[in-house]
Amino acid sequence: MKQRYLILKLMLILGLASTAALAQQRIVSGTIKDSRGGSLPGVNVIVKGTSAGTVTDANGKYSLTLPENAGTLVFSFIGYASKEVEIGVQTSIDATMEEDVKQLSEVVVTALGIERSTKALQYSVSNVAGDNLTQARENNVGAQLAGRVAGVNVTKPASGPAGSTRIVIRGNKSLGGQNQPLYVIDGVPMDNSTYGQAGIWGGQDQGDGLTSISPDDIESITVLKGANASALYGARGGNGVINIVTKKGNSRKGLGIDFNSNIVFENFIDQRKLQHQYGAGNYVDTTNDGIANGVATKPGNLTQAFNWASDSWGPKLDGTPVLQFDGVARPYSYAGDNWKRFYQTGQTATNSIAVTGGTDKQAFRLSLANLDNKGIIPNTGFNRTNVTLSVNGKYTEKLTVNAKVMYSHEAAKNRPVLSDSPGNAPQAMWLIPNNMNVLDFKGDPNKPGAIPEGVDPALLSLYGQGGPSKFAGQELLPAANNWGQNPYWSTYQLSTSDVRDRINASTQLRYDFTSWLYASGRVAMDWFVRKANALSAEGTGYDLVGSRNQSDITHSEINMEAILGVNKTFGKFNVNAFVGANRMRNKYEYLQGTGSGFNVEFFPSLNNTKSRNFNYDFNETGINSVFGSAEVSYNNFLYLTATTRTDWFSVLNPKYNHITYPSVGTSFVFSDAFSGLPSWLSFGKVRASWAQSGLVNISPYQANLTYSLYGFSHLGYSLGSFSQAMGTGGSIPNPTLQPALSTEIEAGLDLRFLGDRLGLDFTYYRQKTTKDIVQQSISHSSGFESTYVNVGELQNRGVEIMLTGTPVKGPLTWNVSFNIAKNVNKVIAILPGQNEIVSDGFSAEPRTRNALIKQIVGYPFGEITGHVQVKDPNGRPVFTTNGSPVVTADYVPIGNGLSKATGGLNNSFSWHGLNLSFLIDFRIGGTIFSGSNDRLTGWGVSEQSLQGREGQAPLHVEGVTRTGTGTTGDPYVYSELNRDLTPHEARNYWSSVGGETTAVTNMWLFDASYGKLRQLTFGYSLPRTMLSKTPFRNVTLSLVGRNLATLWKHIPNVDPESAYTNQAAGQGLEYFAMPTSRSYGFNLALGF
Amino acid sequence: MKKTKILTQGAMLIIATMLPFAGCDTSELHNLNVNPNALLKVNVNFLFTAAELSTACNGAGGDNWYTNWRTNIGTCAYAIQQLAAGAGGISQGDKYFENQEASQGVWDWYYEDQVKNLNEVLKQTGPGGFEEGRRKNTREAARILKVVNVHRLTDWFGNIPYSEANKGIEGTFFPKYDKQQDIYTDMLKELHEACTSISASNEDDGFASSDMIYQGDIAKWKKWGYTLMLRLAMRMSNVNAAGAATYVTEAAAGGVFASNADNAIIPMSTPQLWNDQNGITRSFVDGSQPTTLSKTLVDKLMGPNAGSTADDDPRLMIISGGLNGDMNPLNQKGLPNGLDAGTVDVYTGHSGTDISKEFSGFNSKFLDRDEPYMMMNYAEAEFLLAEAKERNIGTVVGTADVHYANGVKAAMQMYTINDPSFVVSDANVAVYLATFPYAGTTDQKQEMIGTQLWISKFLNWWEAWNDWRRSGHPTLTPINYPGNLTGGLIPRKLKLPTSEAALNTANREAGMTNPDTQVGKVWWDGGN
Repeated sequence: MKQRYLILKLMLILGLASTAALAQQRIVSGTIKDSRGGSLPGVNVIVKGTSAGTVTDANGKYSLTLPENAGTLVFSFIGYASKEVEIGVQTSIDATMEEDVKQLSEVVVTALGIERSTKALQYSVSNVAGDNLTQARENNVGAQLAGRVAGVNVTKPASGPAGSTRIVIRGNKSLGGQNQPLYVIDGVPMDNSTYGQAGIWGGQDQGDGLTSISPDDIESITVLKGANASALYGARGGNGVINIVTKKGNSRKGLGIDFNSNIVFENFIDQRKLQHQYGAGNYVDTTNDGIANGVATKPGNLTQAFNWASDSWGPKLDGTPVLQFDGVARPYSYAGDNWKRFYQTGQTATNSIAVTGGTDKQAFRLSLANLDNKGIIPNTGFNRTNVTLSVNGKYTEKLTVNAKVMYSHEAAKNRPVLSDSPGNAPQAMWLIPNNMNVLDFKGDPNKPGAIPEGVDPALLSLYGQGGPSKFAGQELLPAANNWGQNPYWSTYQLSTSDVRDRINASTQLRYDFTSWLYASGRVAMDWFVRKANALSAEGTGYDLVGSRNQSDITHSEINMEAILGVNKTFGKFNVNAFVGANRMRNKYEYLQGTGSGFNVEFFPSLNNTKSRNFNYDFNETGINSVFGSAEVSYNNFLYLTATTRTDWFSVLNPKYNHITYPSVGTSFVFSDAFSGLPSWLSFGKVRASWAQSGLVNISPYQANLTYSLYGFSHLGYSLGSFSQAMGTGGSIPNPTLQPALSTEIEAGLDLRFLGDRLGLDFTYYRQKTTKDIVQQSISHSSGFESTYVNVGELQNRGVEIMLTGTPVKGPLTWNVSFNIAKNVNKVIAILPGQNEIVSDGFSAEPRTRNALIKQIVGYPFGEITGHVQVKDPNGRPVFTTNGSPVVTADYVPIGNGLSKATGGLNNSFSWHGLNLSFLIDFRIGGTIFSGSNDRLTGWGVSEQSLQGREGQAPLHVEGVTRTGTGTTGDPYVYSELNRDLTPHEARNYWSSVGGETTAVTNMWLFDASYGKLRQLTFGYSLPRTMLSKTPFRNVTLSLVGRNLATLWKHIPNVDPESAYTNQAAGQGLEYFAMPTSRSYGFNLALGF
Repeated sequence: MKKTKILTQGAMLIIATMLPFAGCDTSELHNLNVNPNALLKVNVNFLFTAAELSTACNGAGGDNWYTNWRTNIGTCAYAIQQLAAGAGGISQGDKYFENQEASQGVWDWYYEDQVKNLNEVLKQTGPGGFEEGRRKNTREAARILKVVNVHRLTDWFGNIPYSEANKGIEGTFFPKYDKQQDIYTDMLKELHEACTSISASNEDDGFASSDMIYQGDIAKWKKWGYTLMLRLAMRMSNVNAAGAATYVTEAAAGGVFASNADNAIIPMSTPQLWNDQNGITRSFVDGSQPTTLSKTLVDKLMGPNAGSTADDDPRLMIISGGLNGDMNPLNQKGLPNGLDAGTVDVYTGHSGTDISKEFSGFNSKFLDRDEPYMMMNYAEAEFLLAEAKERNIGTVVGTADVHYANGVKAAMQMYTINDPSFVVSDANVAVYLATFPYAGTTDQKQEMIGTQLWISKFLNWWEAWNDWRRSGHPTLTPINYPGNLTGGLIPRKLKLPTSEAALNTANREAGMTNPDTQVGKVWWDGGN
């Protein structure tokens, strides 16, 4: 606490200092225009040799107080050649900037927030401008990187409005880690942990850290892809770095006000291919002779109506009245589209306003943004408010101060439950047989999904399934399956909510001792409190007594950093070097109260629960680091850079807790070095680098063995457990763990032609991880389910290609960019003697329990394995005597969830004030195991399940059956099977292949390739001439849309982007996530 | 300019103070990695107590209905025809389907919860442990309790990891499979040593106050150990007659359970839904598992003459909670196994059969949340002695008919712990024994013993299933539901969990009981 207090105090002092006035000095002012005479806002105006400077305002005007020794002004602006003007005795200096075909002054923000000229970079970085993020929006800004940056693979689980994203840069580098990049805002690391994901037993996507960010605050996002780029971040940057630079205030006259209003609507994308010919029912076989020759039967009474309401194996729909679970007889015919009845049009409104202002000494930007979302599942939504203040000032010639506070408030309501059934409304919606109408499930209108008053006691007894009768207010289960929930009950009665308040604050001081020597210090804090609340309502089918759970998480991370640097030119040589140190402390505290059973009926307060339990968790980690970097350049065309960083980790034992990562690289701008190159080559650069970085992906306290005590006693007896695991699921600690090491080489070529009308950026990289920390799943009979070991080796190799072009230029301008990246991953080694591992079983196994994602030596990361049909020695498929496939007990490699290549195509056209742009992104290759299709066929819902029914072409099987059991050799005798199955056998066939232990996994494996029209915006900006007499600086109205169309895909019924988790181990699995949705609407931007 | 100077100094100060934080001071850094909520050492009695609670229904580990619901009820209660399910609930045993969790659940909970903790007790009280030479009775009791758990595991799966199991902490992550025969040999040796070494003259060392089964009563622990020895000996009697004889003799001489006061019972409680309560109760009450009784059980309890109460088992209206509230013993009716919502109408002859109303359900007085959980009873000891005597296995004092009669009486009178109203008088027991005298051929007598053992294991269905698989008594008629996965045979084994196929592939294939199907046979059942 003391430490935090100190930091707050420091920030306060800095805030006050920014108001300090300074002595009157000489002032110079002027207007900067472009070559066509338009005023240029945002131009940097700097007094050469000092860091005194300002930026032009919206009208291209600037005013600058000159330091005593000022001689020359330097004007610079991205895309224009910088210009130098002697000041002399002038007090007014105007200038005209020429567009710079060679973009000499282009700078990007690299590691630790340091700006560097792109020419000097020895590695590939990609930049996404903030205005790409604010028209067609995503609640999670990470999702908007999809298709924009070569080598950046974005996965957005189909998990609703407040969901997380998964971003992997240049492939997975650690077998057991999450492999997600480090997110950095203005040089300060930001927590991007997720507080829960769905897995085999269901769950909710509890979001990640990125959802806190308002895109309106983002100036640009820079992706540092390789170890080479992120080497200065040490182990935390081992998976790449996504560097977010926020907008800042700048010097201007008066206040600038930017207002943006965005409203979009959202609908589910219908990809279903279901049968609409057969209704609820089942096969009845009265002979009990083991031969499946029953007849498809529709419910003939209430019991059957209740028992068969989740089986779509009845006869052909014939329109006759048939009883349903609620005792009402309705026509046995297709009842219409239940999804349209249940899902609603989602809506997201985002409004933001930003005020900027400043003088030549200091500037500020204050912004306020609000996002209000209603999801497509009723009663779900997400709300976010952001307030950001940034202040930067220069109070003497030597001291620069930047301070920033970002506050965000996020509230998510009823995050959708995904994967396993309890609480999963989308799954319940898939299950409903054709002849039933979901509106009949609504029950009590005042308590949707509950049994209303006045239901016939005979029905209530039936609903009791042999136990006590149900009563009004309990869940109205439409079928005799406690886990197949009523979608209205899931939506309205099982409630969850979470609220996060977050403060991300930082302050930086920079002191220039001389024109070439500086020191800077930065203190930053990322702090949040997250409160979550979950109610499993009393009367829920699988949890009649109900339970309530409330939890509080407090998280903080504090970074303190100091840097001492030089930047000096000696003739044609320039040296830009620094050394620094960083101290990171991360603290996490968790307090949870759970209660079950309620004393007063239907009063769901935690204080009303009969039995209560609490849980407390605490952990703290730290990293101490020292680092240094040196860049030497010759004549602005040859650059040599070396860096080093050493990290000390608290989570490892002292003997093994530190590691040093070096990097070296060079960049050579040959188009500047050699004269006489052909004129069509406007720019040419080659680059190469080598770097190492670390990877430490374990939680605290994993390196040492401890015992734990239960949080309760039994009849007064104290209970303890060996290891931290109580009950199942423990991990064996390893005291000798050390950091894993990632080594990467990268080489690239950057060429531009025909006056930069055409550009090519090509990168090749080769990365290898050694001593990877692996959480290896082990035989549960060892007493534990996993252990951590330092043994993994895997590699990534790939190419990234980015093509940019301006085919048409003039009043009509057409810009196009295309990127594609291919990554080849291979697992080289795991635990000695072991060929494969499963890490994170909760994520790696789908609920159908017939597939498992493994890391297998010789295969790429995340191989999907499953059961395949057994073959006889002659290669013929083996069936049971009833014609259902016999499957292997073993898990056989069948596919991989990673795509072979990803990319995007971005086009933008502008003509006068009109602007049309669209983004197509695609993935090529990779497979997806579809648990949904497995179930849909098993339930008789899918179109596929029609095969073999009465009135359809029979299902024919050909292969062999086998008899005999034994232990050695091949104990079986095979006989030929070549016949049509009876309809009842066909039903059993589909239930068998679409089941769990009997399922044929590879029947449900699909090519995951797709192409999507990801984003389209069409906008009109009012011309300046029209605005000149209004208070508006600019007015732009746009039509916007996201996820508008799937151009191609290969999986039926569901979207190839239907992952239910963002966890590394669960990629390539799909099982009843939310339907994907498209959004479309308007964006209005006003500037004053 | 003064302000500027202060700021300048401030900036320098920050830099100057931060540099020392980085790098060098790793002891401060390392202190962050000491978990403030964990212990480096523990009183091993706490582990022992947790293992006792978990042995009942894994309550210590916090999921007290999982294993009982999936396996004890879902597979075993239906397969051995004490419960029957038309539809609903977890009931793969009713129609010979599979439920992967029935295998995975017990595997995970047994190895990772109670056996893990018991192994740690044995390790720390053994050579080199931090409690070496101390807590001797805790140690011996832990050996007995470990056999209780391990014999269940091997009886379900046959060959399993044993000698290398629970050694993950020593680096054995993928243990080999041991033959069930070898596991039995070792378990019997363990029981022999534990029963010999456990002693009232050992220092108590907190054992009494951590033992919720017998409160540290050493004599009772000895009896439990010898009764287990008797069970294990008889279980292998069909395949290892000599070994069975040796251990039956030792157990009988050492002293097995002598009254219901010796029964091994874990008391349950109510505060925590997931920890303290009886897992069987929770499956039915909180999980809405149907309680419908099987026709096979109800018919047995009603005796050969369904129209008369004279030949009824006195437990009929203890086990049955009535038919839709009708407590008339003559009107009780069980549901045949293997029916579904369609075929049950064919059985009853009318449409719309409401199973819960037209068939007897078991008595809700067995289903209090704090219902004591019985792991082993005195009646079993007597039945096994009767059988040993009958089959002439080992040296057993007394006569088979007396042991049989003692067993029947004990079984009938043991339910008063579940509800005070569950009283069967000595007179009623005598009438029953007189109605069905212990007589006939050896096979007929064994059918009587087997049937009584079977009834006495109501609620302890996994043991009832073990007994039936071993003895074939009582004679049960399998069902043959379309699409069943056993070819119309009552399951004889649990399939190994998928985690073993996925993770411990080579050891599983080299050492498992083959074939690993529900109709494969374990060693004592005549398999490998």
